[in-house]
Amino acid sequence: MAAAAEHTALLELNGLSMSFGGLNVIDNLDLVVNQSEIVSVIGPNGAGKTTLFNVITGIYQPDAGEILLGGQNLVGMAPHTITRNGVARTFQTLRLFLNMSVIENVMASQYGRTKVDVFRAMLRTPGMRREEKEIKARAEEKLSFFGQRLMGYRWNQPAYSLSYANRRRLEIARAMATEPRILLLDEPAAGMNPTETHEITELIGKLRDEGGYTILLIEHDMHVVEGISDRVVALDHGVKIAEGSFDSVATDPRVVEAYLGTKATSTK
Amino acid sequence: MHHLVLFNIIDQIRSLGWPGAFSLLRNGLVLGSLYALIALGYTMVYGILKLLNFAHGDIYMVGAFIGYGVLVAFGGALSPTIPIVPLIILMFAVSMAGSGFLGVAIERVAYRPLRTAPRIAPLISALGVAFFLESSVQLLTNSAHYLYNGYQLGGKNGNFGPLLNPVFTVDGIPVTVVQTLVILTAVALMGVLVYLVYRTKFGKAMRAVAFDREAAAMMGIDTDRIISMTFFIGSVLAGAAGVMYGLYLGDTYFFLGFLFGLKAFTAAVVGGIGSIPGAMLGGILIGLAESFSTGYVGGQWSELVVFGLLIGFLIVRPTGLLGSHAIQKV
Amino acid sequence: MSDTPDTPGPPEPPPEPQSSAESGPKIGVDSWVASHGGRSGRSGPIGSISRAWESIPDVARFLAFVAIALSLPFWLLKSEGDLFNFGLFTLLFIGMGLGLNVDVGFAGLLDLGYVAAFGIGGYAYALLSSGYYGIHWPAEVVIPIAMLAAVIPAAVLGFSARRLLGDYLAIVTLFFAEAFLVFTNVSNPTIFGKGITGGANGIPQADPLTFFGYQLTSSKQLYFFLVGAVALVAAALYFANQSRTGRAWRASREDPLAAEVMSIPVNRLKILAFIFSWAVAGLFGAIYVAILTSAVSTNYSIGLLITIYAVIILGGLGSIAGVFVGAIIINCVFVFLEPQTDHPEAKRWIFYGVIILLVATLKPWYKAVVLCVGTIASGFIVHAIVSATAGSAWTSGKTVAGAGWLSHWVVIPKVSHGNVNNLLYIGLVVAVVLVAMLKGWWRIIALGPTIYLAAVVWENVLTENPGVTAFILFGAMLVGLMIKRPQGLLGTARVEIV
Repeated sequence: MAAAAEHTALLELNGLSMSFGGLNVIDNLDLVVNQSEIVSVIGPNGAGKTTLFNVITGIYQPDAGEILLGGQNLVGMAPHTITRNGVARTFQTLRLFLNMSVIENVMASQYGRTKVDVFRAMLRTPGMRREEKEIKARAEEKLSFFGQRLMGYRWNQPAYSLSYANRRRLEIARAMATEPRILLLDEPAAGMNPTETHEITELIGKLRDEGGYTILLIEHDMHVVEGISDRVVALDHGVKIAEGSFDSVATDPRVVEAYLGTKATSTK
Repeated sequence: MHHLVLFNIIDQIRSLGWPGAFSLLRNGLVLGSLYALIALGYTMVYGILKLLNFAHGDIYMVGAFIGYGVLVAFGGALSPTIPIVPLIILMFAVSMAGSGFLGVAIERVAYRPLRTAPRIAPLISALGVAFFLESSVQLLTNSAHYLYNGYQLGGKNGNFGPLLNPVFTVDGIPVTVVQTLVILTAVALMGVLVYLVYRTKFGKAMRAVAFDREAAAMMGIDTDRIISMTFFIGSVLAGAAGVMYGLYLGDTYFFLGFLFGLKAFTAAVVGGIGSIPGAMLGGILIGLAESFSTGYVGGQWSELVVFGLLIGFLIVRPTGLLGSHAIQKV
Repeated sequence: MSDTPDTPGPPEPPPEPQSSAESGPKIGVDSWVASHGGRSGRSGPIGSISRAWESIPDVARFLAFVAIALSLPFWLLKSEGDLFNFGLFTLLFIGMGLGLNVDVGFAGLLDLGYVAAFGIGGYAYALLSSGYYGIHWPAEVVIPIAMLAAVIPAAVLGFSARRLLGDYLAIVTLFFAEAFLVFTNVSNPTIFGKGITGGANGIPQADPLTFFGYQLTSSKQLYFFLVGAVALVAAALYFANQSRTGRAWRASREDPLAAEVMSIPVNRLKILAFIFSWAVAGLFGAIYVAILTSAVSTNYSIGLLITIYAVIILGGLGSIAGVFVGAIIINCVFVFLEPQTDHPEAKRWIFYGVIILLVATLKPWYKAVVLCVGTIASGFIVHAIVSATAGSAWTSGKTVAGAGWLSHWVVIPKVSHGNVNNLLYIGLVVAVVLVAMLKGWWRIIALGPTIYLAAVVWENVLTENPGVTAFILFGAMLVGLMIKRPQGLLGTARVEIV
């Protein structure tokens, strides 16, 4: 809906470094994600991709560097404050609120955008009831993004009753409900069959085009990466080894080496 | 009012002088040995199951009672039917065995079915077991205090009198047989434990299960057996501590284990939960802290001071002195 | 990655089949599956009862409770003793359970210091509304102060311990409760000329509750007041749970890390839950002291803590209705087990009733029948053996109250032999442990004599010492509940990824 990709940087990582007990997990990383862009981060396992997300969202504190969201440095902020500033994420291993219902999951994440305190809730003031209606409406709106899958009778079912693919969708819906400026999706297509993968790819595109979200994506499935990314960044051992369009990165010798290793001496 | 309290403490320190300080040190070491032995059980179980075994303090209490039972079975403190030394050895042996089996039984009945349950379930179960044990013993003993050795501390009546003889004196303060016995036995037991954990294959298996239970199982370790053995060992130590308590302080009653056990758990935390040397260190420190607090602060406030220290330590440094900060993969 | 250049694209997702007005099951079509039950929970009478219960809206349940409670003094609880024991104390337990349910049930914390908040509220009331210091402030002033007095340590503890994980928080709160007991019992600093806590004797002669000049002295007045107070607190907490704060609490309980990343300030909410719980405890602590007219520190022991935990866990963690049910059951057990009770036979029927209920849950039904037969048979066998070998002195004792015919089945010695009783009890514990370790039919076989042994122990030992018996039961119940039914009676079964 908005004009085509404006090249204003939304998220900037400058010189970001993080180590665990002497092991450099992220090494002097520079990364820029522009408004309305979809950037994919790829790399073999252990390259530091999820750690990168954890650092951006404030779960870990980096050793050095800055994380600028719209110019504001997020380093040192508590995770819930970072989320309020506009960063939302999903988890690689799915961390839904399993015993809460589908719609409650999406309502719960709106905490940071709402303000009725518990005392007004106990008295059920008109302001509180109004806000509750808004929260519910917003949750339904986010869930409707996924077609019929998470609609209707599904709202009141506990999250643990959902199928795997639906759980992934719910996790994205929950992240969307925090009204973020940038969405960090950690392997959204993990464990999906080709049909579901196709759906997810289209969905991510829809998130950018219709939802106006900026997206930073970790993914292993190259179909998805190829189908959706504006830019691809390759990491290995915490270092950025390539950046550019999918084709240029996929054929970059350093990337091939990271995934497949160097050629052994020929046995032929 | 602050000044008053501080002056009182300083006065106390001065008036007690070096002999006083030494006697407090001695008491603290004895007490600390008891705390250390019990703390070891807590820390081993926590390390292997991430479970705070509230019932462990009550195993210690039951151990004290078993020792008493053996004592009475052989005629009681005033007229034992067998010589003192074998009697004491027997008390230790039976109590340690009995406590060990009690620990294993508790694990089987109350904790094993909850291995895959939400984290709060085994904690509540542990609370239930603790309470059950305390109330059961209360029922069986009719809430009475059982006098362990039949002698008044300081007197020399009865055949257990020789336990009060000094082994050596420092500045006029005696260190009695029973006190030395407690400290030396504790050190010996801890030495055996360290050997077991760090130098045997079994100990290696224990450490493996504590580190990552699933992986250990996949490596062919019978985790159920290892866990049972861990409970056994921890409870054996607690049983020994129970007998020592009885010999040293003279009486047992059903509520003995609760608070003692809690402080011992804090000792384990102070030393770093999951760390065996840490539990020993923590136990000694808490014992010393309590002893010096009773001596110098005294009266109505000494217990509160100890509580304050414990709470403060937990808040300020929950990883403890020798604990490792385990990195969790998110 | 793929080598073949013309791999066909991924298949289109199949279109959702049109729903036509007919035909067979559309397994796999979401909406059909959801609307065609057959998997809606348990079958049989228990299933229908629980479905009926769940279909009643919360408001209706609440109003029904209030209505029934208000009517009780006129038909079920007519005597003063009954009203006091059953009415007032059940309501007090409900109140305390409601408070603990906030931080343990809603927010998932392990608060073991709760009983200290109860005590702080009580002592505050006793100090400000009694002859002790001669301060006689009215209840409408003192009760908020009592609640505030309980809230302050909650805030301090919660704030300083905000980063502690579950177990550690439990220990810190437990130490605080112990410190409170030591402070009131022993430390008792002298302020304004008197020991402020009254030491081991506590503070006597607290005034009755006086609201705006109106004194609540009779049990009936107190009862109606308590019904109102409990109803108000329950409603307020219910609304709190439905609000965004309630959702945030539940999310923090589910997965604190995910909650934090979803914009929820977990630590702040933990502290809030703590404060709420202890405020409620302070409220009912003050009322409790007003009813008992004195504040004595032995009332605030660990036994009370375990009892309140038993209430909320039996009822179901997180369920407000569960607190009501749990409190009613637990308090009835307490009262019926009291030594001087108007209903001595009740003790017996509680025991046998519970046993029969538990046996009846065995599936399939023939296992339960075999077990009953086995138990009764082993009883008669043992009784016969004992009367034959040890003489009638061992079997001619009387049961504690009524049901004399039972003495033909249960072995009751004429004179109680203390040591034998102890051995029996220990034997029972060992038997239970063995039963827990056996499986299948061996377990049923072992269970028969064990139940009989339990009956013997009950008649001989436990009914003689009812106070302790209650605690033994609660301890065992907590363990049993966690193993068999951790969600309690009215809680929902939770799914957790370990």
